[in-house]
Amino acid sequence: MTTLATRRQAAPGGSTTSRPARSGASSVGRPGFAWALPATIFFALFALVPLAAVAVLSFTSWSGLGDPEFVGFENWETLIADPVMLKSLWLSLLFIVLGVVTQTPLSILLGVWAAGNQRNRAILSAIYFIPLLLSSAAISVLWRALLDPNFGIPGQLSWLFGDGNLLGTQSGAIGVLIFVGMWQFTPFHTLIYQGAAKGIPTVLYQAAAIDGAGTMRQFFAITLPQLRNTAITSIILMVVGGLTTFETVLILTNGGPGTDTTITAFYMYQEAFQSFDFGVGSAIALVLVVVATLISLVVVKVSGYDKMNSSLEGL
Amino acid sequence: MNNRTWMSRSLAGTAVMMLGFTLAGCGGGGGDASGRPENELHLAVYGDASNKVEQAMVDTFNETSDVKIVLDTIPGADYQTKLQTIIDTDSAPDIFFNWGGGSIANFVEADLLMPLDDLIEEDPQLKEAFLPSVFETAVVDDKSYGIPMRGTQPVMLFNNSEVLQQAGIDAPPATWDELLEDVEKLKAAGVTPIALGGADQWPTQMWFQYVFDRVAGEGLFQAALDGDTEVWDSEESREALGKLRELIDAGAFGTNFDSVKFTDGGSPTLLSSGRAGFELMGSWAYATHLDANPEFAENVLGYSEFPAIEGGEGDPDNLAGNTNNFYSIHKDTRYPEEAAEFLKLMYSDEFVQEQIAIGNLPTTTNTEEFLGEASNPEYAKYQFDLVKEAPHFQLSWDQAYPPEATVTIHTAVAQFFSGQIDEDGFIKAMQSL
Repeated sequence: MTTLATRRQAAPGGSTTSRPARSGASSVGRPGFAWALPATIFFALFALVPLAAVAVLSFTSWSGLGDPEFVGFENWETLIADPVMLKSLWLSLLFIVLGVVTQTPLSILLGVWAAGNQRNRAILSAIYFIPLLLSSAAISVLWRALLDPNFGIPGQLSWLFGDGNLLGTQSGAIGVLIFVGMWQFTPFHTLIYQGAAKGIPTVLYQAAAIDGAGTMRQFFAITLPQLRNTAITSIILMVVGGLTTFETVLILTNGGPGTDTTITAFYMYQEAFQSFDFGVGSAIALVLVVVATLISLVVVKVSGYDKMNSSLEGL
Repeated sequence: MNNRTWMSRSLAGTAVMMLGFTLAGCGGGGGDASGRPENELHLAVYGDASNKVEQAMVDTFNETSDVKIVLDTIPGADYQTKLQTIIDTDSAPDIFFNWGGGSIANFVEADLLMPLDDLIEEDPQLKEAFLPSVFETAVVDDKSYGIPMRGTQPVMLFNNSEVLQQAGIDAPPATWDELLEDVEKLKAAGVTPIALGGADQWPTQMWFQYVFDRVAGEGLFQAALDGDTEVWDSEESREALGKLRELIDAGAFGTNFDSVKFTDGGSPTLLSSGRAGFELMGSWAYATHLDANPEFAENVLGYSEFPAIEGGEGDPDNLAGNTNNFYSIHKDTRYPEEAAEFLKLMYSDEFVQEQIAIGNLPTTTNTEEFLGEASNPEYAKYQFDLVKEAPHFQLSWDQAYPPEATVTIHTAVAQFFSGQIDEDGFIKAMQSL
């Protein structure tokens, strides 16, 4: 009570000091274009200009030696006729779908659980968080060693893995990449869902409890709908991340067996930096940019994310 | 996290391209020595354990020279990429490490290298002090571009002598038929006959190099390299592929070789732990085993030449592998005389002794005198004699072709072994090069 009283007493004095600040803010008005200038310059310099350069390079033949040579649409014709390119797009799509399907339910469950008040929550959450702190390269090297068919986990559990030829078959290699992606990125999405779940007003749960709703009912009727916008954000991140998965593919499968896990981002690297064909590499990069933009637009449109409806309407 | 890495990835990727673009613009216009640092020669080498010797040579040179050499070690896996990115700019090294053959062919074509023939005329030792089969690797269009600067690394058939004994095999196979018999014996003994790091792809390629050479002789691959891709569809080529298919179908490599790597210790451990009988590998396998399991390397590890193939055209003494590594000189170097002086150290006694001390086998004619100083003189002498007597030393396919062919070759050999493509598929892939 006493602290409240002193605050109220101090208020009139405080208002005089805050007056100049308020008038200063009103003279500035709405942020003008100048406010966006630093970010715009940065974006132009490091995203738009290189993007334009890549677009130009995609019409040239260049090995990194000498000057790029203009070849018209030759690279694009090569790409369109290239079975590996088409396959890589399908593979990328498959990776995205499998990534979203495996990571989303797991991270929602973990996130909602981690938002609670259980006694063991903090310790277990900290453990679940560890993969997020490791670099993709370290994670890939780690799993590569763990999955050695003779001296790793498959060698010990031959009743489950057979001859352990996980990375030597297409389904096995894709399974491994999806699993490692799940292991690596679920903690991040868990964190997003945890934050969002913590933000759901407790009055909703109290009201539901009075109406006689059990834990399951509360989860499906309150928690999931309230996490809608978070889920869209998380899924967009997964889609874009899945489209550009690279290190794990490079280290775990090197695009193999054959070209069975050569996803588009890896194929771009292979063409540009292993085959030194920067023209074709740039063309693939452009395809990747277009596809990523299209997918993001579709997700935003379909989900109604662009309207930014609050999930707290009416509260 | 996803989003951020996506941003940084695409930014880094495009920025690197952009950077290369502008740098090439500058470098292409320059093309002389003026942009290079004064009194400095930059030496770029592949970063690994051998750098000790390279540093020692640089120190020896710098003691007496006013122009100092700066050693730039570039981490191994990125070496070729980094080199290709800077070679046509002012940051290009004056002297640089390479594999000869295809690794420098593009640079020669872009007129970036200094032919060494004039230097050799002044000091014939620059050529005569090296074994001819090795020196030839860095000759492009009849001009010499490289001086051997490390050890030779022929590919040999290594074995676990204890496993062979237990399976009833007295001696390593001298012929292809003996190899097939040994495969059956080893299968009966319950081990994988031949360890293969298929996930690395290049170990798979070693089988093609030898079988093609034994069946068709060195001429077939050379013809293909020179542009006659029809040879891949020849009778000999199909016969070689048939031999390989026979070996694979016999279960020689087991079933899970595509998940095994040499580079992370997978396949060498199969051999040293007695779970495989043979492994076809470069001479560095000895050092790999010595490092991981010294007792095995010294007492159990055996080695032999790749078996002869009956009725084949290739000489059974032909070798394949890394003939050696080379130093080449950039055309725009500011100090060609000093660079040449440095290259003369590559046949000095000091160089040979230092290389042998770290387990490399140099390819100078005076190497023989110092073989007794090797950690395993017997192994060093065996290898040196192989290289000296070899009528032909085939550079690894992925290094004989320019770097842009590597992905195609590696994918083709791996797919052929896993059964994803057949003879026709392999021939078609190789003809696309």
